Amino acid sequence: MITFTIDGKEVQGQEDWTVLDVAKWHGIDIPTLCYHPAVEPYGACRLCVVEVDDGRRSRVVISCMYPIREGIKVLTDTPRINNVRRWIVQLLLDESPASPKMQELATKFGVTPSRFKKAGVDFACHLCGLCVRACHEVVGAQALTFGNRGLRKEITSPFHTGSKECLSCGTCLYVCPTGAMEQLFDKVGA
Amino acid sequence: MNKEDNIGIFLCECGGKISSRIDLPKVCEFLRYSPWGHLEIYPHPCLAPGLEAMKKEIQAKGLDRILIGGCSSRVMKKRFTTALASVGIERHQVEMINLKDHVATVHEGAPQELARKAAALISGGLASLKLLEPYEPVSLSFEGPALIVGGGVSGFAAARELARKGMESILFAKALTPEKVMDGLHHTFPGCRLFCGDLGELFREVFTNPLVKVVPDQPVEYIIGGVGDYHVGLKQADGSVTEVEGAAIIVALDREFSPADVTTIGGMDRVCTLQDLEERLVEGDIQAGKVVFWVNSPQHGRAAQEFAAVAAWRDSLLMVRENPQVKPTVLYPANVTLPLTGADLVEARAHGIGLQSYIPEVHPVVQSGFMSFVSPADRLEHEVEWDTLVVPGVPEDPAVKAQELLRWLPIYPENGGSLKKSHIKFWPDQLPDESLFFTGSAGGICDLNEVLQQGKKAARGVLSLREKARQGRLVSPVVVHVDKELCEGCGLCTEICPCGGIEHVKPGSGPVPRETDNHLCSGGGTCAATCPYEAIKVLNNTAQQLEARVKAISAQMQEHEILGFVCGWGGLSSAEQAAVKGLKYPSGIYLIPVNCLGSIDPSILSMAFLNGVKGIMLAGCTPTHSCHYHYGVDHCWYRINAMKKLLALAGLERRRIAVGYVEVNEPESFVRMVESHLDALENLPPLPKDDRTMAKLWAIHATMHRPRVRWVLGTSLRRPTEKEFPGSQFNAVDADETMLDVLKEEYTVSRIFKALTTQPLSPPELARTLDEPVKNLTPILTDMAKDGRIITKGWEKGYPIYAMGKG
Repeated sequence: MITFTIDGKEVQGQEDWTVLDVAKWHGIDIPTLCYHPAVEPYGACRLCVVEVDDGRRSRVVISCMYPIREGIKVLTDTPRINNVRRWIVQLLLDESPASPKMQELATKFGVTPSRFKKAGVDFACHLCGLCVRACHEVVGAQALTFGNRGLRKEITSPFHTGSKECLSCGTCLYVCPTGAMEQLFDKVGA
Repeated sequence: MNKEDNIGIFLCECGGKISSRIDLPKVCEFLRYSPWGHLEIYPHPCLAPGLEAMKKEIQAKGLDRILIGGCSSRVMKKRFTTALASVGIERHQVEMINLKDHVATVHEGAPQELARKAAALISGGLASLKLLEPYEPVSLSFEGPALIVGGGVSGFAAARELARKGMESILFAKALTPEKVMDGLHHTFPGCRLFCGDLGELFREVFTNPLVKVVPDQPVEYIIGGVGDYHVGLKQADGSVTEVEGAAIIVALDREFSPADVTTIGGMDRVCTLQDLEERLVEGDIQAGKVVFWVNSPQHGRAAQEFAAVAAWRDSLLMVRENPQVKPTVLYPANVTLPLTGADLVEARAHGIGLQSYIPEVHPVVQSGFMSFVSPADRLEHEVEWDTLVVPGVPEDPAVKAQELLRWLPIYPENGGSLKKSHIKFWPDQLPDESLFFTGSAGGICDLNEVLQQGKKAARGVLSLREKARQGRLVSPVVVHVDKELCEGCGLCTEICPCGGIEHVKPGSGPVPRETDNHLCSGGGTCAATCPYEAIKVLNNTAQQLEARVKAISAQMQEHEILGFVCGWGGLSSAEQAAVKGLKYPSGIYLIPVNCLGSIDPSILSMAFLNGVKGIMLAGCTPTHSCHYHYGVDHCWYRINAMKKLLALAGLERRRIAVGYVEVNEPESFVRMVESHLDALENLPPLPKDDRTMAKLWAIHATMHRPRVRWVLGTSLRRPTEKEFPGSQFNAVDADETMLDVLKEEYTVSRIFKALTTQPLSPPELARTLDEPVKNLTPILTDMAKDGRIITKGWEKGYPIYAMGKG
């Protein structure tokens, strides 16, 4: 058993567990977006950041992938963390201002659409990869993938053509945090 | 698994998402009289600490069935089953009730009120788990050769691969020497012969290898059995049938090309098809001069055009290599991309082969010695000179040729003429290993290289099955069980099964009980719901389990509430999508997810009404094109139709039951559907509870169990694409009226039984009890008395007094 503290509360966990696992189990709320218990963590959105003090220094890390260690002090609600999270929410909100999940987060962090807003986009994909991971890990098909690189990176079917692998099961729709998948869905299947 | 206290219930708070909307402690209170071994609320059962805590409880209390009240089973079930596998909990032992998407997020009621609904759904899950039966997979042997049928070229590649790995195979081929195979190749793969590397070597190796038995292609009389044990009956010339046994079947089927009608273009000496040209090439009869290959016929699809263009390019290369005097040009439509590499193009240029595209909108015109076409480069009409004009052949419909195979194997013709292994689309882990191999260009026009690769791949599939069997790991999950005692061998299930899971029987063997090939079975359950004798059981998903669930849920429903069945694809997905999108709908509907609406036994619907449910709504995928179980949703339509007719016969409202079609991505439609049906039923009173109505509902339920009714339901499937009706009916009204007649009669029979169980009655008394004119009852009563279902107990005032017969 590994003993450490989250927000001053002493908690225990086993090896391979992550900070997020333990925090959620103890009812400590850490906002997440690209995390889903059905798939392996991926660390794309960085919204789940926490401050971890390992005795030598204090760092901002993502809790969904940070394995717990003996004696670390985890802080989930500090001005530093809130600042990081607010900026992340700000940038993501500007990409998909109409998504209910983003609106919920925006109200929570008191963020409004800003000068970064992309014109005319309501449900932009954040490239969190949840749909790709769910299609692969949960369904076992590989009908979705990332296409292109850098600024042009997008979610698409392999080779940008209708995928015969797609079962139209709707798993990607279910896990999509922004609702961008709805627009993409019909283009994926063969 | 009969001890009730082995069920563990774990409720999820989902970080407040569920617990803030549903009063979970209250749910526990509601469940206190239900049977369970452990009940606990976790903040997040799906996270590592939750799974660990669950495992501890399972081991400490010896739990063998788990119910998780949390979120979507589609997304989360795998996580639980993988984690709990270490403590011996398997997929079927986990039941998930989606409290989050079916209750918490979509309704606006108070947490206490929603707790009642949640508890009802959970007790439904408990009732179903209670009836779960132990589940033993069967180990399969895999001995004997692989049978390569269909006569396609890919069979050779498969046979060689198998032989190289030391596995025997029997190859049914059209030509029995390597040379003959080569000679006939241009009928299926024009232009491919000389460009496929070691093709001759492949054929020679196959013909000389002792592990491969090449036998002449014979008409298939039957294919029975399943993976590891196939029997193929071959019709001999003298009419007798010889049987060949094998462990696996590889279907290698190629699409043949028949000669195009060139007479409308020009005479046979100057205009020919690709196939003819190849024959001329073989004979060394190559004319000098300008040869134009015209890739026409867009009606055969782009793949066929691409294929023809490449074939034309190959043939021209062949011609110029042998005779530099020939000047070939390939004229192809501009919307087709030539699948040629840069090196190919360089070679074409070096040999002076013209590759010219034309815009497909303007049809090229053939003239004597010239051909005009519009070039996409300048939109000008150009002319090309020709001495010989070559057009591609017409791809034949493989379904016609392969009729004998299609009858026995789950391979279906698709629109567009190609064949496909099965229409059904499932999650890969829903099915065990692939056990039926289908290769060749009949599955889609493609290159010879591609086809040979397919054959090799199929052989590897067979080898992996053999490897698994050697290690003792080749097991079939027994999904469907046929009760030999009950099965009458009518074969309706075989006809209806979309996945090939119900094995065929030899023709002429009479009504013998069916066997199942669980390697192909998808557990859809359409067969079980159709079986007239209720002999088929989908293990872990039996009609009895669903019945128990319906009973348990309806016992806790209020009078104005209705039941909703959603299919696992369109219905369930859109229902859950509604929750994700934050849509709300009234809480008066209790959703029960099923595999497919087609797997709902007709008696389930009547059972729900018998239990006092006010109305039923069913949501499935749009018929045929998006139904994942072939025609499952159509099967269900007929059952609903019968239910409506029976309700009307009993003097109840037909609109109490309604079906809707919704796609995966249409949560708004789902919500509208629910609201609309609830609105329609709002002013309708609940089902009366008096004895008379109850007796009628009982009779409806009994009618749904009657083999004759189930037989009519099974045979009279409404398939939207079909214009023919079963039996002697020739139009829709006729077919429907026949169905109504059967239902009327069987309904009356059921009512008579119900009345006679309490006391023996004479026809006038029966007529009074049933509120029917005597003249309607007399013929039925006479029939029933004749076959002993009722007996004459005595006589009174000239009337017989009937009582229940024996058995």
